[in-house]
Amino acid sequence: MMFEVSHRTTYTYAKPVLQSQHLVHMRPRSGPRQAVHRHSLLVEPAPTANVLREDYFGNSSTLMTIEDEHSELIVHARSTVEVRENDVPIRGLSSPWEQVASKARRADGELDIDVLQFMTASRHTRIVPEVIDYATPSFPQGRPILEAALDLTQRIYKEFIFDSTATDISTPVSHVLQERRGVCQDFAHLAISCLRSVGAPARYVSGYLLTFPPPGMEKLQGSDASHAWISVWSPEAGWVDFDPTNGIIPTNEHIVVAYGRDYDDVSPISGVLLGGSRQAMDVAVDVAVQKP
Amino acid sequence: MSSSMLAADVGTREFAQGYRGRPGVFDELVDDSGTIRPHWQSLLRELGAIDPATLALRMEQLNVRVRETGIAYDLFSDPDSATQPWRIDLVPLIITADEWRALERAMIQRARLFERILADLYGPRNMLASGAIPHQLVFSDPSYLRPCHDLRPTRGYLQFFACDIARGHDGRWRIIDTHTETPAGVGYALANRMIHTGIAGNIFGTCGALRLVSFFQQLQASLTRRANRADPAIALLTPGQRSNDFFSHAYLARYLGLMLVEGGDLRVAAGGVSLKTLHGLMPLDLVVRCIAGAVADPLELDSTGFAGPVGLLQAVREQPDFMANALGAALAENRGLSAYLPQLAETLLGEDLLIPDGPRWWLGDAANRQHVLANLEGMVIRPAHEGTARPGRAIPGIDPVRLQRDEHDALLREIEIRGASLIAEEKVGFGTTPSLTPTGLTAKPYALRLFVTSTSKGDFAVMPGGLAMTVDPDMSVSLNAPDGESRDVWVIGDAAPPPFTTLWRPASAAARIERSPQDLPSRAADNLYWLGRYTERADWLMRKLRVCLGRLLENTAPRQELRASRIALQLPLAKDDGKVPPEWQPTDARLIEQLAHNLMTSMDWAYGLPRTLDNIHRVAGLTRDRFSPEAWHMLNDFYVSGRWRADALPSATADSLRLLDDGLRLLAAFNGLTHENVTRDFGWSFLDMGRRVQRAYGLAELLLGIFGKADSGENESGSLLFALELTDSFIAYRSRYRMASALPLLLDLLLVDETNPRSISFQLAKLADHIDALPQSGGSGARIEEQRLALSLLTDVRLADVSALAEVDAEGRRIGLQKLLGEQLEGLPRLSDVIGRRYFNLVEKDARWVRLRSREQS
Repeated sequence: MMFEVSHRTTYTYAKPVLQSQHLVHMRPRSGPRQAVHRHSLLVEPAPTANVLREDYFGNSSTLMTIEDEHSELIVHARSTVEVRENDVPIRGLSSPWEQVASKARRADGELDIDVLQFMTASRHTRIVPEVIDYATPSFPQGRPILEAALDLTQRIYKEFIFDSTATDISTPVSHVLQERRGVCQDFAHLAISCLRSVGAPARYVSGYLLTFPPPGMEKLQGSDASHAWISVWSPEAGWVDFDPTNGIIPTNEHIVVAYGRDYDDVSPISGVLLGGSRQAMDVAVDVAVQKP
Repeated sequence: MSSSMLAADVGTREFAQGYRGRPGVFDELVDDSGTIRPHWQSLLRELGAIDPATLALRMEQLNVRVRETGIAYDLFSDPDSATQPWRIDLVPLIITADEWRALERAMIQRARLFERILADLYGPRNMLASGAIPHQLVFSDPSYLRPCHDLRPTRGYLQFFACDIARGHDGRWRIIDTHTETPAGVGYALANRMIHTGIAGNIFGTCGALRLVSFFQQLQASLTRRANRADPAIALLTPGQRSNDFFSHAYLARYLGLMLVEGGDLRVAAGGVSLKTLHGLMPLDLVVRCIAGAVADPLELDSTGFAGPVGLLQAVREQPDFMANALGAALAENRGLSAYLPQLAETLLGEDLLIPDGPRWWLGDAANRQHVLANLEGMVIRPAHEGTARPGRAIPGIDPVRLQRDEHDALLREIEIRGASLIAEEKVGFGTTPSLTPTGLTAKPYALRLFVTSTSKGDFAVMPGGLAMTVDPDMSVSLNAPDGESRDVWVIGDAAPPPFTTLWRPASAAARIERSPQDLPSRAADNLYWLGRYTERADWLMRKLRVCLGRLLENTAPRQELRASRIALQLPLAKDDGKVPPEWQPTDARLIEQLAHNLMTSMDWAYGLPRTLDNIHRVAGLTRDRFSPEAWHMLNDFYVSGRWRADALPSATADSLRLLDDGLRLLAAFNGLTHENVTRDFGWSFLDMGRRVQRAYGLAELLLGIFGKADSGENESGSLLFALELTDSFIAYRSRYRMASALPLLLDLLLVDETNPRSISFQLAKLADHIDALPQSGGSGARIEEQRLALSLLTDVRLADVSALAEVDAEGRRIGLQKLLGEQLEGLPRLSDVIGRRYFNLVEKDARWVRLRSREQS
């Protein structure tokens, strides 16, 4: 399926920004299941310097410097991405989770370092006793890793309430667990913490999701949002995505932008400003299926 | 044998008489049979020849010199707490040339090994893929800086390298810690040597110990080679005076002739890193890094740290040898690596590891955990990674034997969950070395730090000396020296010492920069400007408080005079969005008391006295190298005397008044001393400009507050007297105008009269003069923004018609006065901003770097 994605972020500042520098992760990844046909990043005011590079995790990132004084910053990414249908892996065929964990524990030249790096806890996926307790029911002895991951994904989907006011970007997973509320990135962090707590490699995925309006309603402009889910590794199937916010295995409506250990590695825009205060942010995302 | 030699030998024996090692523990001075080792003979002979009184005097002199040099001085420590202890033993640690050569080889091997390990971990990561280094050990270490992957510095990761080493009871050396992040306190070793030879220089010479200068020459040549340019601009980047290693940074920078800079002094522009000076950006060729790599760039690394300039990492990608040590090098300090080093030495160097680490177990490994839990007694649990470079400050770690039951359980749980960031280390004890105490020589357990530099030829050289410190073997397994007992390290050579040389380069660029008054770093200008503002703000506030409280105390003040008092005291609150709490308005007198009390004691208000005095202390500390010690002591008194601490302030009005008088005297003394003693360079200009801006603003604000709207005649004359008293202008007014109480006359005196040092026009005229003389200002045909602004403000005041300004409209407003003062109040902060933007780093005030972060929504 071919998607047109428009991701427009507008920051407004009460006091002007004299100078700013930003790190942007908005260009979707190219890979076996996904091809980027077109991508543009429009920034207003125009940056004086712009560096495009591949980061440690293989994501494209843009470093930019804006030296014009400004009270409003617009970052607008537009992408045309083709996503191929994903064969949902047969669950029973993956190795038991204990085997995956023991294989990943000590490298022997066989397993890829780029897989192993995702089994270590990170800032947003700290392994605390509450996480271990929450993970335990999904990991009975001998259960195949992908089946365990799906169970965990569906438990989070059923037991947690989507609430965009309950958390912010620095809310720890222990708090999310206590409140049983949060947004996609909280659920992704929780799921990753649980998987890593049993020694399984799991990574954070940021991207977009095609959404549908309620029956009988027109889809509103800018009503989509950037999304986050997870990816779990099994020796048989490699990386397999799971979406705990929606309790599903993504098939062809998820568009991948970046992979990382957690949100910090792939945050769409971060930056440092000289001046500026009381910023307000407005994000408009549109994901549309291109008519053939 | 001559009789004098004989006498000296007797002295040697007497001096070491009664000295004993500990049973079964290797001692540097005596062997197992208690015989003095030969390489100590000459030192003991020299010391034995000194009479006890002189010896005691020299011991004392050493520590006086330590205090004067400021090794132990911690600027921002709580004044009530003791400063960091630091002492120097008159007796050094002596190492023979043979022993030294073995240590030297081992240190160089280590430096090469860690160089290879870093190149692999930040490059192909073969050691992780093969399992030679456990991947979790590296991936769980916060000092593994992923954005620094593939930087590939062509001249290596390690310019500076250091190891802490110790002897076991059997006398065998082991490495107890590795330093790959910063120069690791090399300044302390240098300072110790300087101080020690200053007091005991003749002994040093007679014993023929190796000098350190060759090491620093190699270091300097290597830095120049790394910068890849003749006469390069090299800066030493420090976290600043709050860092506990700051002394070492400042000392090293001065010794090597490097510019000492902080992150805020630097800017990344056009791909390169430059130093901000009053003359604009000055490109740098190399930075000696004394900040942690993890906080070196808030854009790509830890966003909470601003220790380096924003965008530094990308600049380094384009110029990979720009930083020494390279960003990310701290990873090699991970203590968990210890057990894997022998194998790595074989794989990467094809060599046997000459000196291994002490016995350590990385607790990320299940088998290690099992072993450690089964043998917990005799182990110490420590973080795998520790961030301090200051010698003697290693964290002692947790001794499980000393824990309560619940603490013990918590530790086991911690090991289970976060083992990857912990290690266990076996307590194997330390060898001893003699220490000179008032009762004679005593054996003390010790560890030492050895320093390595890379050379211009791409290899490494070891400092022929080091820093030894007394450790407590019951508490520690590493270089943890709670008493701050340090000693110099002498290598007694078997050849004649090389001829005397000096690092002093008469034509060095660094020396020129030091002397040129024009190259004032922006940060210094910024801090001086704010010191001027804060001292004036404090002065103005104390004056207000003194006048207001004085009137209350006299108890004879007519009601109308309290109106001006109330307005004057409410002004600092209004700026802080602080409304006077409603419960506060019983009577003017009561309100004034409450306002005054809060302004003097509350930390809640940015413009109140406690926070203003805090600001003075902070900024004065940062600029103290510009003042005489007396001037500094005046300001420091607010802080160290404890009398101005909010909780110690008097509640009785009369006591408050006495304190305010003292405070005003201190400020006046400071202003007088700076006026008389500070050279009239740009630093002085910025200090005085800060003062002038603040004074003009305070006065404009007050005049607008009390005269902007007309009041009854009685109230007006009360306000008039208040303004005169506050500005010390009563006498001038009376001598000129008798007692004719008329506003136009007052306005003339406080607004227009350029001969009155308290008038607004006086401040503006001084300001305009300073600004015209600044490096980026132009002549009359090409005035730049701040020149035009200052001139415009000054001209407005000069042209003011005081009679017209005093006129009142139908609604009781003085429109002309409101307009004129309003423009001043709007123009002065703008002027301040424009100057700041052109010359400062903007470290003060509200223009600062803030973070921006988006959030995923769905």
